[in-house]
Amino acid sequence: MIRPLLFEHIATARESLRRTRTRTMLSVIGIAIGVASITAILALSGGITHVIDKQIKNTGDNLLIVKPKVQTADSANFTNPLSANQYTTSPLDESDLELVYKNENVKMAAPLMTVGGTVKYNSGPPVNATILSTTPSFTETSPLVLSDGQFIDSVTLENTAVLGAQTAIDLFGTEQAVGKSFKLRGENFTTIGVIKRQQSPINYNNVDFDSSVIISFDSGKLFNHGIAQIQQINVIASNSANLEKLRDQLTKVISKNHSGDRDINVLIGKEITTPTNQLFNFMRTMLAMIAGISLVVGGIGVMNIMLVSVAERVREIGLRKSVGATTGSIAAQFLIEALITCSIGGFIGFISGYAVAFTASRFLPYDPLFSWDILLTALLLSIGIGIIFGLYPAIRAARKQPIESLRHSR
Amino acid sequence: MNNLVDNTSVIDIRGLKKRFGLGDAEHYAIDGLDLRVNKGEFIAIMGPSGCGKTTLLNIIALLDIATSGDYFINGTDVSKLSSAKRARQRAKHIGFVFQDFNLINNMNVIENVALPLTYSGVRGTKRLETASKMLANFHLHEREYYMPSQLSGGQSQRVAIARALVTNPSLILADEPTGNLDSKASHIIMEELSDIHKRGNTIIMVTHNPDLTAYADRVITMLDGTIDTDTKDIGKEKKTTKKRPLNKLKAASKKKKQSTKPPKESVK
Repeated sequence: MIRPLLFEHIATARESLRRTRTRTMLSVIGIAIGVASITAILALSGGITHVIDKQIKNTGDNLLIVKPKVQTADSANFTNPLSANQYTTSPLDESDLELVYKNENVKMAAPLMTVGGTVKYNSGPPVNATILSTTPSFTETSPLVLSDGQFIDSVTLENTAVLGAQTAIDLFGTEQAVGKSFKLRGENFTTIGVIKRQQSPINYNNVDFDSSVIISFDSGKLFNHGIAQIQQINVIASNSANLEKLRDQLTKVISKNHSGDRDINVLIGKEITTPTNQLFNFMRTMLAMIAGISLVVGGIGVMNIMLVSVAERVREIGLRKSVGATTGSIAAQFLIEALITCSIGGFIGFISGYAVAFTASRFLPYDPLFSWDILLTALLLSIGIGIIFGLYPAIRAARKQPIESLRHSR
Repeated sequence: MNNLVDNTSVIDIRGLKKRFGLGDAEHYAIDGLDLRVNKGEFIAIMGPSGCGKTTLLNIIALLDIATSGDYFINGTDVSKLSSAKRARQRAKHIGFVFQDFNLINNMNVIENVALPLTYSGVRGTKRLETASKMLANFHLHEREYYMPSQLSGGQSQRVAIARALVTNPSLILADEPTGNLDSKASHIIMEELSDIHKRGNTIIMVTHNPDLTAYADRVITMLDGTIDTDTKDIGKEKKTTKKRPLNKLKAASKKKKQSTKPPKESVK
């Protein structure tokens, strides 16, 4: 009994929607805008996570990141932004790095320390670049490839640096910068290597390596009165199976070193890929909320149109009931109509959402993520909206008494 | 109660009451009505406006619920059924012909006729085949794909009758089926109903037109929510208190048509 009625309801809905195609299109657009916004947001934010995910895969699945605990970007304090460089107050120092090195489960570790200041070439204008100070093992904890020269190692002199491709061009007008000298906070530095252009400013190091200057850890300390203020320690575990155990060990020893203060986080796996940038989180939350609101507005549009449809078809409802339609089948008929409207909207929205995401990605340094999860989300959202906003009109239609409905004037 | 039911009767109604309004506005449209309809009968229900004819027909059609009383269709008690079960009984047992046809305007003729089959669980192509055969019986097979707006009143009513018959119901109910038709179309429709009756169908028709009672083999006259006269009871002991000869009632009905006085007074 249900199967033929389902097809009948679909055919009736199709006919009814075809007859009122202008207003149906308008409701469809309402839903499509909502679904498109959500799809675009998910695709773009998923893209960022995917980029970092890929980097971690390249590094291996035994990566841990030790980071100072940062103030979380909750919605309550977004008007009071955190300092631009949270690392300046990092509690991590060289003694913590030593503790990490000492752990038997650690295969390798590299500190990451940013140094304030600008670089310039001769009398040219100062070039904005992130100045990083790290150890030679950094290349093994992060996917860095050099296009020319070499990375800093244990035998290179203190006043040597590796440049990002963009920094090299900004300073010297060419990527062929090996051997050339520049000034960093007034000190002369010689370029010994250039990093191959990465075009991935989004990574778990939070550094755009294309616009960076990498100097040795000792040089970095000299700029900081001989004290290491480490923003992040990238750790490679000797065995990926021990990741959880190593995390606990590191948290414990570093906390102990900080007089019991649990002021650091050790991130593993998926936690690393979650962007911690508060602006990013805030923007994503806000955009998702706006998209959600537009979807609800679209749903209200569908409900409105469905109520109009019910009002127009009171006699038809009465007649259908008089020839044997049950309350359930009348409800199903109108619910399916709402569902079809929302599904069409969802489909159009999904396609347009990706069109928007791909257009936006032309101006962004990464591609949107295509995943079945997003398709499923769009599908479930459309169906959910269809059910939520189609249910009331459907119940209203189904509750009509046949006698009163048949008396209803045309 | 069930053991008292005569299984040869299509309809058995006992002590039926239907109340409208509450308190001061309380009014019984049907007031303790008993009716038994046997298979194959063609009944015409007559009576002045407001006497409860249409209310009775709606209750028989399971479109309305009685306030009290018992109602059996083919021996099954249907007076206390749930809404879904009543809908199923409607689909299975009842074909309804309305005064104003009630065809769905955006469906063509064959789809309109096939509609009741949808709710009887008949599948797509089979539905259309059955509807097409039914339309052929009414000489409307050339109009299958016409829209209702392209049909004359008489044709529309024949389509409506075809729709009422398509599920092969045990009972056909017609509420003033010729009310919106001219005399020629009325005659054609009555001939159709008469044909259906001859094929063994049970028909209950509500009408204002005394001329149409000629087609029926039993005429019931209602007054104030009860059966006033029933041609079946002529010669038998009177069951109701207010019985009048049929010819007198017909005369009263004609008089009522000519008179501007309220119908009740004209009968009294």
